[in-house]
This record gives sequence, C-alpha cells and structure tokens, in this order.
Amino acid sequence: MTFTAVDAARLLDACSTSIVLIGVLIAGTRSIGRAIWLVAAQAILLSAAVAGVGLATGSNHLLLGSLVTLSSRGIVVPLALGHILRGSPVRQERNPYLGPRLSLIAAIAIVFVAFMAVDSAALGGSLGPVSAPRALPASVAEVLTGLLIAMTRRKGLSIVVGLLVFENGLALTAFSLTYGMPFVVELGATFDLLMVVVVVGVYTRRMLTVFGSLSTDQLRNLRG
Amino acid sequence: MNDWVVGVLLLAPIIGGLIAWPLHGRLVEFVAIAAFCVAASAGLGLATAVPGAGRVTAFHGGVSIDALGAYVLGLTVIVAALALWASPRYIRHELAAGDLRPGDEGHYYALFLWFVATLIAVPLVDNLGLLWVAIEATTVVSALLVGINRSPDAIEAAWKYLILGTIGVGFALLATLLAYASSVHVLGESSDALNWTRLMSIAPHLNPNLLRLSFIFALAGYGTKVGLVPFHTWLPDAHSQAPSPVSALLSGVSLIAALYALIRFHLVAMAGLGSSFSSTLLVVFGLLSMAVALPFMIRQEDLKRLLAYSSVEHMGLLAMGIGFGGPLALLGVALHIGLHAITKATLFLSAGELAQQYGSRRLSAIRGTFRAAPVAGGALGGGLLMLGGLPPSGMFVTEFAIVVGGITRGYWWAAALAALLLACCFVALAVHGSRIVWGHAGPVEAARGIDGAMALRLAAPLLVVAALGLWTPGPLAAALDSIRAILGATGV
Repeated sequence: MTFTAVDAARLLDACSTSIVLIGVLIAGTRSIGRAIWLVAAQAILLSAAVAGVGLATGSNHLLLGSLVTLSSRGIVVPLALGHILRGSPVRQERNPYLGPRLSLIAAIAIVFVAFMAVDSAALGGSLGPVSAPRALPASVAEVLTGLLIAMTRRKGLSIVVGLLVFENGLALTAFSLTYGMPFVVELGATFDLLMVVVVVGVYTRRMLTVFGSLSTDQLRNLRG
Repeated sequence: MNDWVVGVLLLAPIIGGLIAWPLHGRLVEFVAIAAFCVAASAGLGLATAVPGAGRVTAFHGGVSIDALGAYVLGLTVIVAALALWASPRYIRHELAAGDLRPGDEGHYYALFLWFVATLIAVPLVDNLGLLWVAIEATTVVSALLVGINRSPDAIEAAWKYLILGTIGVGFALLATLLAYASSVHVLGESSDALNWTRLMSIAPHLNPNLLRLSFIFALAGYGTKVGLVPFHTWLPDAHSQAPSPVSALLSGVSLIAALYALIRFHLVAMAGLGSSFSSTLLVVFGLLSMAVALPFMIRQEDLKRLLAYSSVEHMGLLAMGIGFGGPLALLGVALHIGLHAITKATLFLSAGELAQQYGSRRLSAIRGTFRAAPVAGGALGGGLLMLGGLPPSGMFVTEFAIVVGGITRGYWWAAALAALLLACCFVALAVHGSRIVWGHAGPVEAARGIDGAMALRLAAPLLVVAALGLWTPGPLAAALDSIRAILGATGV
C-alpha cells in the first residue's frame, strides 16, 4: 500500500482541523499544565501532517522538518515548560481578563469567522500536488486563537502558552501556504523558539524570586 | 576569501562570548575587547570593500551585501565599539554599587558580544527567512541584557520586550511566508525563492494580493521592532531599563537593523505594486509615530525614557522619509540613519554616566550638571540640541532635506505636519537639556573622576555629527549616493 497525495491531503485536513479544535480547548482551560500538554499534542499532529505530505511527495526535507518539529515543539519545549511550572506555586490561571467560558466562546467565534473568510484558493492554498482546502483557514484561526490567549491571560506561563499556540499557527501557515520554508530557515526558526523558551525560564525564575509570583499584575510599574 | 572574512566576522563574537561567560574582572574585559576588535576589523574591511553600485557576496550568494547593507554593518560596528568602550567603567560602577552580582560580569560581556553578532548578521543575509531568524535572535539575546540587573522594573521591561517582540516578529514571519507564496507560481518551490535579490528581479510578476498582505504584516512585524506607533509600547521600557551601553546598542543600531528589514520589504512591494501602496502606509505610520512620541517627550520625567521616545520620533521621521521617496528625501534618510545612530548612542552613554553619578535617572534630580559633571553633562546638553536639529548639527540638514523632499513629492500636508512636530520636539529637548545643564543642583553623590577616555568617547562622536552638517567627505558622499539609489531603486 502506498501513501498517495490524496491520503496526504486528507491527513493534512484532519490534522489542521484537530489542531484548531485543540486550540479552542486551550482557550477554555484554566489549568496551565493541561494547556501545556494540549500545545504539545498540537505540535505532534502538525509533525504528523508534515510527515504525511513528505511521504506522499517523497521529499526528504519535509520528513526531516517533521522530525525537527516533533522533537522541538512536541517534546523539548513542553518538557521545559512543565519543568518551569513545577518550580512555581501557580497551577491555575486565576482571574484572566477574559474568563474560560468567554474565551471559549471567543475562540469558537474566531474559528467560525476564519473558516468563513479565508478562501484558500484565492491565496494560493492549492499549491503542489497535495490540495488540502481546510489547512489555510485553520492556520489563520490558530494564529488568532494564540493571540487571544496571549492577550487575555495574566500569568506569565499562560501568556507563553498563548505564544506557543500562535507559533504553532505560524508553522501551520508556513506549511499550508508553501509546504515549508527552506530547511535552513526552519532550523533557524526552531533554534529561536528554543531560545525564547530558555529566556522565559530565566525570567519566570527571576519573577518568582523578586515578586514571589508569576502574575503579570506585578508588571505595571512602567508608564509614560 | 570573502567566506573567511564573513566567517571570522560572525564567529569571533560568538566564540569570544563563550570564553567570556565564566570569567570576570580585567580578564573578561580583555577577552571581550579582543574578540570585538577581530570582528570589527573584519566588518569594517567587508563594509568598505562593497563597491558603490555592486555587492559583495560570499557562501555562494547566501551572504550578499550592497551599499545599504554595508552602511548598516559599518554603523553597527561603530556604535558597538562606543558601547563596548564605555562598558568597563559602567559595569564596574554597577558591581561596586551592588546592582549587579559578581557573576553577572562575564554574562554581560558574553551576551553583549552575542547581541552584536546577531545585529551583524542582519545586513549580511540575502534570504528573507534568515533575515527574520537574525532579527528574532536580536530580541532573544537582548531581552536577557535588558533584565540583567534583576530589579523589578528591569524584569518588567524585559518580559514585555520578550513577549511583544516575539509576537510582533511572528507577524514578520507571516510576511516572509506570504512573500514566498507570492513567488511560487513564478519560481516554483525553489530554495532561493526567499532570496531578496531573486525576489527583486521578478517583482513585477509576483502575486499582487499576497504581496500587499505581505507588506502589511511586515509593517506590523518589523514595525514593532522599529518602534513605530502603535507597536512601540515595549520600546521606552526596554531602552530605559537596559544597562546604558546596551541602551546605546538598542536605540542606535537594533532599531536600524529592523528598519533595514522593513526597507527590504518596502522595495519588493514598490517593485511589484508601484510606489503608492507601501509608501503611503510608511508616511502615515511615520507621522503617527512622531505625533504620539511628542507629548511623552514634553511631559517626560525620566532621562532615558526621554531619549527612548525621541528614538520613536526619529524612526517615525525615517519611515516617513522613506515613504516620501525622491532623491532629496532619500539622501536625507540615508545620512539621518547614521547621524541618529551615533548621536543617540552617545547620549545614552552620557545619560548612563549621569544616572550613576546622581544615583537617579529622574530629570528632576539630574540638574546643574554644568558644575557637577561638566563632561557628561556638557555632552548630554550638546547632544540633546543636536538631536533636536540645531544647526550646524548634521541632523538639521537631514531633517530639512526630508521635509523639503516630501513637499517636492507632493506630500505637502505630511511634510508640513512633520516640520511642526520637529520644531516642537526641538523645544522639548532644548528645555529638558537646559534644565539638566543649568538648573539648580540638589545634593550630588560624590563626584566621579573625569577620565580622558570618557571625555573622548562622549565628545568625539558629537563633533563628527556637527562636522557632517557642514561638510561631507567624498567617499561618504559617494556611499550615501549609492544608498539613495538603492532606496529609490524603483518606482521613482
């Protein structure tokens, strides 16, 4: 049995839709730990979709890219964030600017609008041999969901989770628009992402020692 | 040959940083300066080797430097040299005051060198994807420098900078992807489709809808790093909380590095869409930045925040000048980029000197420097006047050129507003400056010794800026002319 372009397209559609649904779940959860593992699940689905297209088109750089995605976004980053979370007294997003129920509704609205508004044919989403019409609207919805989470949470780690959802959305956009960027660019982008997580780790530790909490409410001294 | 020079240029600061990380005292200063000198000579050699209308390439075209890239590279080296020269005096004082821990000294120099390496990488790479990687790397490394002293305010500034910078630059990644997608129907999925030179050569055939969307995302994304309003909110915090030599690098060259990336997208957009779309956006956001920065400068109470808001204003002026286009405004922009970088870096260094001497950054505390700190205070007062554009400062000439250039290009409403805003900014800076220099001094911490090196590094750059207002040496004039040609390459 061979893995054909049609199979790859179905896999990509299924994975991107699931990624968006998981994004909605992240928007609706209070538990930071659960959010981290959901982000990891998104990355695993993403790497599966990339691997599928790589198999169907016989492109080695996509298979390699899939491995990079899986190991960095799927394993290393979530483990690092889990480690930071264990070192902090905060487990829950206490009083975000937008409560879980409201952000769930907002995220669903975002997904709805993105799927209505983004026409992938007009933006060249049917590139190459694999045509997956849901991938591009899904990636736009995912980017916006990430922004929603990052902007409406108060705890430093929740904001970073939003940032990662946003980054997963960017990676999905990259993939659904162009089937991935040149490999060296992807490596560079992954390296940058890992560095961001390291710096987040440094600053969450400093916030804990200086403020005794990870709440960004402490961070409103600088004005004007 | 060029491969080697570029390799040394990037590896010297990276390796120097690795060596410096665990060291402290005179040794780490020596390592940092040695590593920097190696990189600086490679960088200046490379920048001066770029012929007027051509480019220097290395690594099979992966590295490609034209006159604009050489200019940004040269400015990065010069400002980094000033900042590194000022670092030992600044860091020793912070260590003695207990604001830095002993172990932080090695970390500071290591991060400083790595920050310089990422800044140097920006004008070198031809690939828009790698350009994005380099800009994101500048954010990550400098975020560690901004919060190095662990004070609550510094942590707040660094956190905002990291999060807003990463999200903002994420949009620039979208812009890069869209530029790539806009080329696929012409180039196919080839690996050099993101190379800027390649995109420029096929610009008229790019998909116009994708290109338009791409420029909007680039404006929001790189505009965040440039400090254009309304994406600027992190800038005054980060630039004021960072150690002063780092502020000099941030305000002097990291803004220019991001502007350089934005210019690349602007040029592709102009070549593909005609001049009006991206130019109008640049003029509008540039003007908005100038207008919003002004009230914050007038009512400012913190010396370094005053300088940071002035950077927002000058970046707005540059964006507007680039949007104006035309030979006069673009020549003004080309020279203004360099003059602003050098003046602002010097101002942050003298501000750091004063802040340490007075034990405060508050403008109400730093008064009467004429007596208490003649060198740093004089440099600060003179620098503020030059920044405002007092003749014979070169900035008077460049601002005049940008405004008049705008009028000749038909943007008379924007040019008139800009002239008004520049005049108000001059008054604001002059009032703050005169209070600092002549105002009634309160009790001053023990005066610090004047050292000759400090006087030289604060006065010499300002004298250069003043001299450039009166006379431009031949090679520089030729270089500025080729930069202007690149900035206005198409759509004029």
